[in-house]
Amino acid sequence: MSFTPALRAELIKIRTLRSLVGSLAAILLTTVAFSALFSASSDKNEPDQLFRTFFGINFGEIAAIAFGATAVAGEFQGGALRLTLAAMPDRLRWFAAKATAVALPALAVGLLTGVVTAVVGKAAFGDLGPSWGQALRGALGCGLQLTLMALFAAGLAAVLRSGVATLSILIPFLLIVSFVVGDLSGSVADFLPDRAGQIALHSTWDGSLGPWTGLAVSALWAAAALVAGAWTLQRRDA
Amino acid sequence: MTDIDVRDLTKEYGARRAVDELTFRVRPGRVTGFLGPNGAGKSTTMRLLLGLDRPTSGTATIGGRAYAELHEPLRRVGALLDAGAAHGSRTARDHLRALAASNRIPVGRVDAVLEQTGLAEVARRRVKTYSLGMRQRLGIAAALLGDPEVIVLDEPSNGLDPEGIIWIRTLLKDLAAEGRTVLVSSHLMNETASFADHLVILGRGRLLADTPVQEFIRARVQPEVRVRSIDPDALGDLLVRHGHDATRHEDGAWSVRNAPAEELGRLLAEEGVPVLELAAREGTLEQAYLDLTATEAEFTAQPQEA
Repeated sequence: MSFTPALRAELIKIRTLRSLVGSLAAILLTTVAFSALFSASSDKNEPDQLFRTFFGINFGEIAAIAFGATAVAGEFQGGALRLTLAAMPDRLRWFAAKATAVALPALAVGLLTGVVTAVVGKAAFGDLGPSWGQALRGALGCGLQLTLMALFAAGLAAVLRSGVATLSILIPFLLIVSFVVGDLSGSVADFLPDRAGQIALHSTWDGSLGPWTGLAVSALWAAAALVAGAWTLQRRDA
Repeated sequence: MTDIDVRDLTKEYGARRAVDELTFRVRPGRVTGFLGPNGAGKSTTMRLLLGLDRPTSGTATIGGRAYAELHEPLRRVGALLDAGAAHGSRTARDHLRALAASNRIPVGRVDAVLEQTGLAEVARRRVKTYSLGMRQRLGIAAALLGDPEVIVLDEPSNGLDPEGIIWIRTLLKDLAAEGRTVLVSSHLMNETASFADHLVILGRGRLLADTPVQEFIRARVQPEVRVRSIDPDALGDLLVRHGHDATRHEDGAWSVRNAPAEELGRLLAEEGVPVLELAAREGTLEQAYLDLTATEAEFTAQPQEA
């Protein structure tokens, strides 16, 4: 079994489920809409104009998590995984194809989201807004962070073998723990998967992590979840 | 020539042995019925065969190779394990398209198997709108997708309507006639008898029989001849006089064991007895199976502790 046919199969599976296409659309819509709302209503003299511009990513991340978790969780319903693994018995290769099939559309939509959000923000703030250099970093960071969150959820869903379980852990975590603890910037909270990657969306930062090291920390979280998912898959009976 | 070869296969879940030192071989060109009560280990054996579960010990190979080693396995082996495997929100056609892509099977095969399983008309409807019988057909379509030489189906007639049951019977026979290796599990005797040429019977994870269907029935059930005349008592006397082992039914007919219908017919004609009915009764698979399990129970029954 080779990788390309497996990837094609997994991309077809993603394209042909309305809920997955819907959550991809939700990544774009929620991020752009909440960012625009926030930009329009915030003080134009705020120091961190870049994060004001990208504030909506907090909501986009929820859509990205739903996308990653749902894409993997579908395999754990009604014996779907048995059929999938009967077609693609090399489990690691199959899971790599699945993760790639989650990452590719998430990255495409994430980058588009980043660019649209940046352009909307520049328009809203005018000369007081972030510089084009900052906006570009924000757009790229936004795309990468959304992709990493989708992969983090995909890995976790493979460990828990359930979309509901994954979402009921990650969404409260994102909404409560991160929002509450996250304000204590410069602390351990900076290393949480959703906070670390978002440093790339700030004009300035004062913790031990910068924009790219922050994204690297998010990538480590995603990688850890995927490795744990692959290990579970390899070890258990289908 | 592609055999399914199961050798010393054992699978334990904790302390329970679901499959116990199982050895059998499934040959091409005939339908092999895989029989046993629910929980006998049929589905587990099939999952082990497809490399989905890991055996505790022993091997299961297809054409001499483990399933996981097959390149593009759907082109070699088609399997139906769960009718619920297709995602409810996807259409049947998209479900099969993804499967086909994974093994580089041309899209033309997708439409061909949808046609073959009678799903072409509803192929663009979402699977959640399907009845159990239609899902079962979709599972069979998936098994046939790669035009495989080995076909493994777990309870394929579950949920099928009478028309569907006749359809699957013909399909299985045709597949075997094309020289394919066909293994079909079931817990229904009469249904299995209608399509199987050969039997592999499991009981509590162990092999109870591996034999051609006709041989199995003949070895375990004596054929009978049913005779009915206008005067049951006179008929009875005649049978006893000629030393036949006969039992009388409530409707006045007699069942005669160990005597061919030809011999009885001649005897009754010679004696001038008017015959209303004379029918040879072959034993059924169900009778043979019950005989087998009764013998098994004798050997495996544990003394009850007070």
